[in-house]
Amino acid sequence: MMMLDSIDELLNHIKDVQLDVIELSGESLMKMSSFIEKNGLEIDEDISTALQYQDIITQQLNATIEAIESMKKSIEVFSHAFKSDEGLAEQSVVKLREKLQKTLEEAKEKKSRFSGKHAAEHADDEIEFF
Amino acid sequence: MPLVIFVDDSETALASTRMVTNSMPIEVKQYTEAQTALAEMQGGMTPDLIITDLNMPVMNGFEFLKALREVPATKRTPTLMLTTETKPELKQQGKALGLTGWIVKPFNPAQLKQAISRVLRLPA
Repeated sequence: MMMLDSIDELLNHIKDVQLDVIELSGESLMKMSSFIEKNGLEIDEDISTALQYQDIITQQLNATIEAIESMKKSIEVFSHAFKSDEGLAEQSVVKLREKLQKTLEEAKEKKSRFSGKHAAEHADDEIEFF
Repeated sequence: MPLVIFVDDSETALASTRMVTNSMPIEVKQYTEAQTALAEMQGGMTPDLIITDLNMPVMNGFEFLKALREVPATKRTPTLMLTTETKPELKQQGKALGLTGWIVKPFNPAQLKQAISRVLRLPA
Protein backbone atom coordinates (compact mmCIF):
# COMPACT_ATOMS: atom_id res chain seq x y z
CA MET A 1 0.00 0.00 0.00
CA MET A 2 2.30 2.77 -1.24
CA MET A 3 -0.52 5.27 -0.90
CA LEU A 4 -0.61 4.67 2.86
CA ASP A 5 3.14 5.17 3.08
CA SER A 6 2.75 8.54 1.34
CA ILE A 7 -0.02 9.55 3.73
CA ASP A 8 2.19 8.52 6.67
CA GLU A 9 5.07 10.63 5.33
CA LEU A 10 2.77 13.58 4.83
CA LEU A 11 1.43 13.26 8.38
CA ASN A 12 4.98 13.12 9.72
CA HIS A 13 5.80 16.27 7.80
CA ILE A 14 2.74 18.14 9.13
CA LYS A 15 3.63 17.04 12.67
CA ASP A 16 7.24 18.25 12.26
CA VAL A 17 6.08 21.63 10.96
CA GLN A 18 3.67 22.01 13.87
CA LEU A 19 6.38 21.13 16.40
CA ASP A 20 8.64 23.78 14.83
CA VAL A 21 5.83 26.35 14.98
CA ILE A 22 5.21 25.55 18.66
CA GLU A 23 8.90 26.01 19.43
CA LEU A 24 9.23 29.26 17.47
CA SER A 25 6.03 30.66 18.88
CA GLY A 26 7.16 29.86 22.44
CA GLU A 27 10.59 31.42 21.84
CA SER A 28 8.95 34.50 20.37
CA LEU A 29 6.76 35.00 23.43
CA MET A 30 9.58 34.37 25.88
CA LYS A 31 11.72 37.00 24.11
CA MET A 32 8.90 39.53 24.28
CA SER A 33 8.08 38.77 27.90
CA SER A 34 11.76 38.96 28.82
CA PHE A 35 11.94 42.44 27.21
CA ILE A 36 8.79 43.59 29.00
CA GLU A 37 9.98 42.31 32.38
CA LYS A 38 13.55 43.61 31.95
CA ASN A 39 12.28 47.10 31.20
CA GLY A 40 9.60 47.03 33.91
CA LEU A 41 6.84 47.72 31.40
CA GLU A 42 3.25 47.35 32.49
CA ILE A 43 1.11 45.42 30.01
CA ASP A 44 -2.47 46.35 29.21
CA GLU A 45 -5.38 44.02 28.49
CA ASP A 46 -4.73 43.81 24.74
CA ILE A 47 -1.07 42.89 25.15
CA SER A 48 -1.89 40.41 27.89
CA THR A 49 -4.49 38.75 25.67
CA ALA A 50 -2.09 38.65 22.73
CA LEU A 51 0.56 36.97 24.89
CA GLN A 52 -1.94 34.45 26.21
CA TYR A 53 -3.09 33.55 22.70
CA GLN A 54 0.34 32.00 22.23
CA ASP A 55 -0.47 29.48 24.94
CA ILE A 56 -3.80 28.68 23.27
CA ILE A 57 -2.03 28.27 19.90
CA THR A 58 0.39 25.79 21.51
CA GLN A 59 -2.42 23.77 23.09
CA GLN A 60 -4.36 23.69 19.81
CA LEU A 61 -1.33 22.55 17.82
CA ASN A 62 -0.50 19.90 20.42
CA ALA A 63 -4.08 18.61 20.15
CA THR A 64 -3.78 18.32 16.37
CA ILE A 65 -0.45 16.52 16.80
CA GLU A 66 -2.24 14.01 19.06
CA ALA A 67 -4.85 13.57 16.32
CA ILE A 68 -2.10 12.98 13.75
CA GLU A 69 -0.47 10.35 15.97
CA SER A 70 -3.83 8.64 16.43
CA MET A 71 -4.39 8.66 12.63
CA LYS A 72 -0.93 7.23 12.03
CA LYS A 73 -1.58 4.41 14.48
CA SER A 74 -4.94 3.55 12.88
CA ILE A 75 -3.41 3.55 9.40
CA GLU A 76 -0.55 1.35 10.62
CA VAL A 77 -2.99 -1.21 12.05
CA PHE A 78 -4.98 -1.19 8.80
CA SER A 79 -1.85 -1.51 6.69
CA HIS A 80 -0.66 -4.47 8.75
CA ALA A 81 -4.03 -6.25 8.47
CA PHE A 82 -4.16 -5.59 4.73
CA LYS A 83 -0.68 -6.98 4.15
CA SER A 84 -1.30 -10.11 6.20
CA ASP A 85 -4.67 -11.01 4.68
CA GLU A 86 -6.30 -9.16 1.81
CA GLY A 87 -9.56 -10.85 2.73
CA LEU A 88 -9.60 -8.81 5.91
CA ALA A 89 -9.13 -5.58 4.01
CA GLU A 90 -12.80 -4.72 3.62
CA GLN A 91 -13.43 -5.32 7.31
CA SER A 92 -10.34 -3.30 8.17
CA VAL A 93 -11.46 -0.37 6.04
CA VAL A 94 -14.64 -0.13 8.10
CA LYS A 95 -12.63 -0.21 11.33
CA LEU A 96 -10.20 2.38 9.98
CA ARG A 97 -13.06 4.69 9.08
CA GLU A 98 -14.53 4.33 12.58
CA LYS A 99 -11.19 5.05 14.23
CA LEU A 100 -10.55 8.10 12.04
CA GLN A 101 -14.05 9.38 12.80
CA LYS A 102 -13.38 8.97 16.54
CA THR A 103 -10.07 10.80 16.17
CA LEU A 104 -11.86 13.65 14.39
CA GLU A 105 -14.50 13.90 17.11
CA GLU A 106 -11.87 13.97 19.86
CA ALA A 107 -9.85 16.59 17.99
CA LYS A 108 -12.93 18.81 17.55
CA GLU A 109 -13.78 18.45 21.23
CA LYS A 110 -10.25 19.50 22.19
CA LYS A 111 -10.43 22.48 19.81
CA SER A 112 -13.41 23.71 21.76
CA ARG A 113 -11.92 22.90 25.19
CA PHE A 114 -8.59 24.59 24.53
CA SER A 115 -9.94 27.82 23.06
CA GLY A 116 -11.01 29.40 26.34
CA LYS A 117 -12.85 32.69 26.06
CA HIS A 118 -11.74 32.97 22.44
CA ALA A 119 -14.40 30.45 21.40
CA ALA A 120 -16.87 30.52 24.28
CA GLU A 121 -19.34 33.23 23.32
CA HIS A 122 -21.05 33.10 26.70
CA ALA A 123 -17.83 33.58 28.65
CA ASP A 124 -17.17 37.08 29.92
CA ASP A 125 -14.44 38.68 31.96
CA GLU A 126 -16.09 37.94 35.27
CA ILE A 127 -14.16 35.55 37.45
CA GLU A 128 -16.51 32.99 38.94
CA PHE A 129 -16.21 32.59 42.70
CA PHE A 130 -17.81 29.60 44.39
CA MET B 1 4.13 39.50 51.87
CA PRO B 2 1.49 36.89 51.02
CA LEU B 3 2.82 33.95 49.02
CA VAL B 4 1.00 33.08 45.79
CA ILE B 5 1.78 29.85 43.93
CA PHE B 6 1.17 29.54 40.19
CA VAL B 7 1.18 26.10 38.56
CA ASP B 8 1.02 25.74 34.77
CA ASP B 9 2.87 23.38 32.46
CA SER B 10 3.27 26.24 29.98
CA GLU B 11 6.26 28.54 30.59
CA THR B 12 4.60 31.15 28.41
CA ALA B 13 1.41 31.06 30.47
CA LEU B 14 3.48 31.56 33.61
CA ALA B 15 5.25 34.50 31.97
CA SER B 16 1.86 36.10 31.24
CA THR B 17 0.77 35.83 34.88
CA ARG B 18 4.16 37.05 36.11
CA MET B 19 3.88 40.23 34.03
CA VAL B 20 0.50 40.97 35.56
CA THR B 21 1.40 40.25 39.18
CA ASN B 22 4.88 41.79 39.33
CA SER B 23 3.48 45.15 40.48
CA MET B 24 1.44 43.57 43.31
CA PRO B 25 2.57 43.40 46.95
CA ILE B 26 2.85 39.61 46.86
CA GLU B 27 5.58 37.00 46.67
CA VAL B 28 5.15 34.72 43.66
CA LYS B 29 6.50 31.22 43.10
CA GLN B 30 5.87 29.43 39.82
CA TYR B 31 5.96 25.74 38.92
CA THR B 32 5.60 23.93 35.61
CA GLU B 33 4.75 20.64 37.35
CA ALA B 34 2.02 20.24 39.97
CA GLN B 35 3.87 17.35 41.62
CA THR B 36 6.89 19.60 42.30
CA ALA B 37 4.71 22.28 43.87
CA LEU B 38 2.94 19.62 45.93
CA ALA B 39 6.23 18.22 47.20
CA GLU B 40 7.24 21.71 48.38
CA MET B 41 3.97 22.09 50.26
CA GLN B 42 4.31 18.62 51.75
CA GLY B 43 7.74 19.81 52.86
CA GLY B 44 6.31 22.76 54.75
CA MET B 45 5.70 25.59 52.29
CA THR B 46 2.44 27.35 53.19
CA PRO B 47 1.12 29.57 50.40
CA ASP B 48 -1.70 32.04 50.96
CA LEU B 49 -3.18 31.40 47.52
CA ILE B 50 -2.71 28.73 44.85
CA ILE B 51 -3.57 29.37 41.19
CA THR B 52 -3.37 26.30 38.97
CA ASP B 53 -4.04 25.22 35.41
CA LEU B 54 -6.33 22.24 34.82
CA ASN B 55 -4.91 20.38 31.81
CA MET B 56 -1.39 19.34 32.73
CA PRO B 57 0.54 16.11 32.11
CA VAL B 58 1.38 13.73 34.98
CA MET B 59 -0.85 15.49 37.54
CA ASN B 60 -3.79 17.60 36.37
CA GLY B 61 -5.37 20.45 38.27
CA PHE B 62 -8.08 18.34 39.91
CA GLU B 63 -5.59 15.68 41.04
CA PHE B 64 -3.40 18.47 42.40
CA LEU B 65 -6.33 19.98 44.25
CA LYS B 66 -7.30 16.61 45.79
CA ALA B 67 -3.70 16.06 46.92
CA LEU B 68 -3.53 19.59 48.39
CA ARG B 69 -6.54 18.85 50.55
CA GLU B 70 -4.66 15.86 52.01
CA VAL B 71 -1.80 18.10 53.20
CA PRO B 72 -2.70 19.62 56.61
CA ALA B 73 -1.02 22.95 55.80
CA THR B 74 -2.96 23.43 52.53
CA LYS B 75 -6.22 21.76 53.50
CA ARG B 76 -8.03 25.10 53.36
CA THR B 77 -5.71 27.21 51.20
CA PRO B 78 -7.76 29.24 48.70
CA THR B 79 -7.26 27.80 45.22
CA LEU B 80 -8.25 29.26 41.86
CA MET B 81 -8.37 27.34 38.58
CA LEU B 82 -6.91 29.25 35.60
CA THR B 83 -7.81 27.33 32.46
CA THR B 84 -9.15 27.37 28.91
CA GLU B 85 -11.96 25.03 29.99
CA THR B 86 -15.42 26.59 30.19
CA LYS B 87 -17.66 23.55 30.74
CA PRO B 88 -20.11 24.00 33.66
CA GLU B 89 -19.68 20.35 34.71
CA LEU B 90 -15.94 20.89 35.19
CA LYS B 91 -16.62 23.99 37.27
CA GLN B 92 -19.02 21.95 39.39
CA GLN B 93 -16.38 19.26 39.84
CA GLY B 94 -13.93 21.92 40.97
CA LYS B 95 -16.44 23.43 43.34
CA ALA B 96 -17.11 20.01 44.89
CA LEU B 97 -13.37 19.61 45.45
CA GLY B 98 -13.22 22.87 47.37
CA LEU B 99 -12.06 25.21 44.63
CA THR B 100 -12.40 28.93 45.45
CA GLY B 101 -13.02 30.16 41.93
CA TRP B 102 -12.66 29.67 38.17
CA ILE B 103 -10.82 31.95 35.74
CA VAL B 104 -11.03 31.39 31.98
CA LYS B 105 -8.02 32.09 29.76
CA PRO B 106 -7.17 34.44 28.26
CA PHE B 107 -7.63 36.32 31.51
CA ASN B 108 -8.17 40.02 31.87
CA PRO B 109 -5.14 41.41 33.80
CA ALA B 110 -7.25 43.79 35.91
CA GLN B 111 -9.69 40.99 36.77
CA LEU B 112 -6.86 38.64 37.77
CA LYS B 113 -5.37 41.33 40.01
CA GLN B 114 -8.77 41.99 41.57
CA ALA B 115 -9.35 38.28 42.18
CA ILE B 116 -5.98 37.88 43.91
CA SER B 117 -6.57 41.03 45.98
CA ARG B 118 -10.04 39.84 46.94
CA VAL B 119 -8.87 36.41 48.10
CA LEU B 120 -5.86 37.81 49.95
CA ARG B 121 -7.86 40.81 51.26
CA LEU B 122 -5.26 43.24 49.98
CA PRO B 123 -6.05 46.94 50.26
CA ALA B 124 -7.58 48.35 47.05
